[in-house]
Amino acid sequence: MGLFLKGIKLPGKLPTFDAVEAPLPKRVILPLRQYIGEPARPVVSRGDRVKVGQLIGAAEDSTSLPLHATIAGKVVGIEEHLDHRGALLPSVVIEADGADTWIEPPGEKDIISLSPPEIITRIQGAGVVLKGMLPIPLAFDLLPPDQPKTHLALTGRRVVRRIDTLLIAAIDPEPSLLVNRYLAGSPNEELPGGIAALRSVTGAERTVFVVDKETSPSSQLTEIVAGDEEEVTMISLDGHRFPVGLPIPLIKAALGREVPLPYGHPRDVGVAVYDTDTVLSVGKSIQGIPPVETLITVGGGAFAKRGVVKIRIGTQISTLIESLGGFTGEPAKLITGGPMMGTAQYDLSVPITKDIHGVFALKEDEIQLVGDYRECINCGLCVKVCPVNLLPGVLSLYCARDRFEVAEREGLFACIECGCCDYVCPSRRPLVHLFRHAKHQLLET
Amino acid sequence: MNKESPIDTTGLIVSMSPHIRGATTVERMMRTFLLCLLPAAVVGIYLFGMRALWIMALSVVTAVAFESLIEHLTHRPLTYRDCHAALIGLLLALILPPSVPWWIPVVGATVAIILGKMVFGGLGTYPFNPVLVAWVVLKLSWPERMSLFFAPHTTDELLTPLMAVKEDPALFYSYGMLPLFLGQKPGPIGTVCGLAILIGAIFILTKGIIRWHIPLSFLFGIALFSAILRYINPDIYPPVIFHLIAGGALFGAFFLAPEPVTSPVTPMGMLLFGFLAGVTTMIIRMWGGYPDGTFYAILIMNAATPLFNKLKPRPYGRRQHA
Repeated sequence: MGLFLKGIKLPGKLPTFDAVEAPLPKRVILPLRQYIGEPARPVVSRGDRVKVGQLIGAAEDSTSLPLHATIAGKVVGIEEHLDHRGALLPSVVIEADGADTWIEPPGEKDIISLSPPEIITRIQGAGVVLKGMLPIPLAFDLLPPDQPKTHLALTGRRVVRRIDTLLIAAIDPEPSLLVNRYLAGSPNEELPGGIAALRSVTGAERTVFVVDKETSPSSQLTEIVAGDEEEVTMISLDGHRFPVGLPIPLIKAALGREVPLPYGHPRDVGVAVYDTDTVLSVGKSIQGIPPVETLITVGGGAFAKRGVVKIRIGTQISTLIESLGGFTGEPAKLITGGPMMGTAQYDLSVPITKDIHGVFALKEDEIQLVGDYRECINCGLCVKVCPVNLLPGVLSLYCARDRFEVAEREGLFACIECGCCDYVCPSRRPLVHLFRHAKHQLLET
Repeated sequence: MNKESPIDTTGLIVSMSPHIRGATTVERMMRTFLLCLLPAAVVGIYLFGMRALWIMALSVVTAVAFESLIEHLTHRPLTYRDCHAALIGLLLALILPPSVPWWIPVVGATVAIILGKMVFGGLGTYPFNPVLVAWVVLKLSWPERMSLFFAPHTTDELLTPLMAVKEDPALFYSYGMLPLFLGQKPGPIGTVCGLAILIGAIFILTKGIIRWHIPLSFLFGIALFSAILRYINPDIYPPVIFHLIAGGALFGAFFLAPEPVTSPVTPMGMLLFGFLAGVTTMIIRMWGGYPDGTFYAILIMNAATPLFNKLKPRPYGRRQHA
């Protein structure tokens, strides 16, 4: 049982019902870039007929990912479209023909015999994205860096550490998100394959499952843990204590290791950390199946139906809302991601991309607007909750007074923008907003 | 861009994460703080009669009125709703002797609001606890009026236990600890009843408005210091429990020292702040010119708060560099 005492307790109940399968969308919008990196190059043109899983965008280099059609139909255009991060991106628009025809599956392969480079090639080829604050191609994250990290190299030795532990998070980045806990409670055929592939690629001899203490893990998971051919253990954590589900606090809570901040990577402390959702995508990708569907959490008081939804990538949020029976109340805020770290949307035509954890429509009584915030009253509640041990209140004073260099010295870039300080602040100071502003100012100069 | 969508999206709010926030606000904090002072205030009225209520009312009303007046004159939004001025007024009244004439709380609350709070820019910016600033001004200006205490339920002048012990150290034998704790002693209106203070303290700690570090390390500092003295010579030094309950130590530990604006925020800083305030209290009690050093000690430590805040927690991930 791991321990995590920082952060805040947030509500978030696991639904007792199964995942809802959203109906096939009539039209999907597939941005050629659904991660941080280079966009893919479109390999189809207007008027082409495509099948589900067919390659429509080719990766340019290791920072870009190939893109596959997620419905069968006709390419009606390659046009600029808004994504949920607010960027206008060239996107392939496909209109469904009604028949959900797939391309020929590449045939069953003996995945045990795949070598690590082959596995990486398949993960890259399927276009798997590692979700998170900065979504990147999963294969890029799995590859060891060419150069040791500069701040680590200062100590004089090369510290690209060998990964000894594979941490599989069956808890969610935010308590309001449900997908990983849902997956931990239901058996999945791709799970053993995904774990085997990740172990092979990372070279980790130990696998640790981190489960929520309130979720009962599926029999499949307990069997994997009990099957003692190799070292597999399970740790349970209080998943309601946000932000324990984020990689950096998770590694600390589960293994007691601290990723060097800022700019550190779990690899620097010998850990590879991926959530169950990602492991399943890996399991599919090594069978040659690209992710065409994604599991997202739908929540917030304005939605008639809430829970885990299985949906085709590229479905527009407006289509999702309709297929779930619309709104029951007037939404004040629409968020992609979770309520703590997600992005507010103003246009419902944005598509669900590979990096989206969930969609939340919050009613007015669920959100708190900053409005007139007060001076910091120095109460220290933010210090109590900060998972990376900063003094957020003091930092915010520097940021609000444009003393960005001082803020940087005080550890601004170690901030993981979880929003705990913001949540507890009695003066309602927009701390995360101030930190992001300061980071941008510093990065631009 | 959104013409085809049948769903009306106008009026969606866009702002930075986090999109949800906790229920704690400054207003709520101050109101809860006021509520936690209620037991001490009620017992004060019970022990010292309606004149105690009169002092509290004058102090609170003056504080709120002067704050509003200054905010009006300086064209700032009125902040009486956050109850901070009322809190200052009530805290000040609770540490005044019940014997004071009507103008002492009025002058005190005025000083607290103007010199203590508003000249620095209001809530959040002042370096010293405004209540203690006002108390010190009153104490220095009218020392004899500020050290005239009544026995409970009467208007008979009587020395407080700490004043008595200051004159004759051996007198501590004459005090029973239970009556001292329950408030059967002369003293400032709100600080005499340890039980009432502890009830409020449990509430304020469980509500998370103040953290345990400062009160407990403050009391620990007093306890440790008095235990050492007691060990050296039990004949002239009173027991630990006497020092904890005889004067303003309990009230100071829970309601004055952890005042958010003027106390440190880091765990180590808070522990050291409290401990040193406790030790300073004992030094003043033993060798200083005043019977009770609690309020002076806290005020002195307020000045060092920026230094205590330099005792930061180890930032996450720094150890790994070696």
